[in-house]
Amino acid sequence: MSSQSRTETIPALEVLDPGLQTTVQDHPGRLGRQALGFFPSGPVDHLAFRVSNILAGNGPGTAALEIPLGGFHASLLSDGVIAICGPDVDVTLNEEPIPLWESVPVQAGDILHCGLIRGTGHRLYLSLRGGIAVPTVFGARSTFLVAGIGGHNGRALERADVVKVNVPNDQQATTRRVPTSLRPSYTNSWEIEVLRGPHADPDFLTAEDYDEFLSTCWRCDLRSDRVAARFNPHRFRWARPSGDIAGGHPSNMLDGSYPLGGVLAYGDTLTILGPDSHTSGGFAVIATVASASLWKVGQLRPGRDTVRFREIGLQQAAALTEHVNRLLDPRNFETR
Amino acid sequence: MSAIIATTELASSRMRVTYRTAGDRAILIEYGEQFPVDLKINFFVHAAARHLDEYGVRGLLEVAPGLRSLLVYYEPHVLSQASLVSALDELHQEIPDPASIVLPSRRIRLPIAFDDSTSREAVNRYRISTRPDAPNVVEGNNVDYVVRCNGLPDRETLYSTILQSEWWNAFTGFYPGLPSLLPLDPRSEISAPKYNPARSWTPEGAVALGGPCLVIHPIESAGSYELLGRTLPISELIRRSRSHRVDPILIYPCDRISFFRISEAELIELRRQVFEGTYDYQIEPGEYAVAEHFTAVQDEHVNAEAIRRRTDRDAALELVEVP
Repeated sequence: MSSQSRTETIPALEVLDPGLQTTVQDHPGRLGRQALGFFPSGPVDHLAFRVSNILAGNGPGTAALEIPLGGFHASLLSDGVIAICGPDVDVTLNEEPIPLWESVPVQAGDILHCGLIRGTGHRLYLSLRGGIAVPTVFGARSTFLVAGIGGHNGRALERADVVKVNVPNDQQATTRRVPTSLRPSYTNSWEIEVLRGPHADPDFLTAEDYDEFLSTCWRCDLRSDRVAARFNPHRFRWARPSGDIAGGHPSNMLDGSYPLGGVLAYGDTLTILGPDSHTSGGFAVIATVASASLWKVGQLRPGRDTVRFREIGLQQAAALTEHVNRLLDPRNFETR
Repeated sequence: MSAIIATTELASSRMRVTYRTAGDRAILIEYGEQFPVDLKINFFVHAAARHLDEYGVRGLLEVAPGLRSLLVYYEPHVLSQASLVSALDELHQEIPDPASIVLPSRRIRLPIAFDDSTSREAVNRYRISTRPDAPNVVEGNNVDYVVRCNGLPDRETLYSTILQSEWWNAFTGFYPGLPSLLPLDPRSEISAPKYNPARSWTPEGAVALGGPCLVIHPIESAGSYELLGRTLPISELIRRSRSHRVDPILIYPCDRISFFRISEAELIELRRQVFEGTYDYQIEPGEYAVAEHFTAVQDEHVNAEAIRRRTDRDAALELVEVP
């Protein structure tokens, strides 16, 4: 565990109302430790998160805030630049509206208020120039709530918490704006790209089951969170009678490590393994969300949104990655 | 597109290797057959994981073992799935036969208090809050249910079955630092069905059995394995100054655990010493030669006894109610 002691830090904001479960995250998070039982944590929507960091003038790997549902209220304690990305929501600075997807200069004493997300989408990302200063824990600054480590004391932010940032060592960043045409669009009924497997047909599911998986409109359950997006129960036929020694249900198998974004058949319930998920287990992963489409899982509104899964191949997945990289290229942003 | 990329066979051991797509940044390699649990295959998994780590395929990012599988993350810009699979296929042929594998493996001795009051508290909370009629709860505990599932005469036989074998950490996962243990002595194989639905609270340090694996809970958490007792803390994710001076995670994959029995009062005292940073865990560095396992398993008496117990267990499992 190394601390940030070499860089100078200053208090950046004081939380007046943290909202539902606001956490400090970094991207790509706690990689390289799955063999020890760590999933990466980090933002559920990596796209909006990374764009907000670029707009705030921060490099990759910088920590910022993930704000599910909005409703975040804070008093700013130092001059700087902020950027907020995510679904449409009313954001004000000293009760004056400020834009999303744009760098916004701020001054000590300003009051920032994010309203509740009432339309499409579910998570907002707030980056502060310099990046949030919290210690690196097991290789990342991301909060992992299940184990109570990382981020701000291993927990979600609470009222009266003071969040610090690193003092940037270069000059004022360019003020940037993401053109509307480049911003991701949010919806109530999502299409999420997946790759088949590792445990699909014909040995686990029947061909009919797989068609059903792709054609069904899945409802995102109210209990969805950073651990997993959960869907309505559904009974597949399965291509085998039981899981033998591993358990009675045909989705059971001998325990193995799960891929991030895996679509897990937990008995009769499908879930998408989120960044705070458990790393292994004895259930079939019937499909895996394309890495470039993982951001969509972060914008699923629990209890409301629906999902259809669209199967793609490796080439299409590579094309999607290129597309996402274009959205992350600051040369495509407007400067002022 | 099929989920299975390729299926090959190792030239030396005829072991089947199945490569499966796990998204656009990972593949899952499975060794041998779906069932049953086979320690030999798990030894091979770890030999393969170490070989891949040491060989360092360019573009290969991370390897995570399971009981009979390896999840391999890669960077698709650098390494295509097809070239990864052909590189892995070549590397697999270089791994020695299970019988000549030697793995780094420490011996760790941990105390255990069976049927302790904290485990009972967890079972009781489950009974009250989740499922009052759970068949795996007998007189406020899971121990008697596990005794029945394995066709054992009494609790003492279950306890000695656990105490007499060394337990192999087949992989670490689910929660940070959680070991999944299999007995190196086949006579100590035990199993139990899991909770249904899951239990919402499990104390840290709980020792529990689900399927063929014994686990130790590193953190307070949900759980679905049958609770048998409690041991010391095995992780120190939030570092305090003196305890766990070496590593925040006590048990690594391939470590061998053996348990010694103590009373609950003694356990509480030892746990206090851990929290105060005055307890020294009993850790002995070393290696494990898989050949040792083969010699032990091939002993006629051991083998006959293991088969007898397995038959008893299968018969007993037919009679118990599965949750």
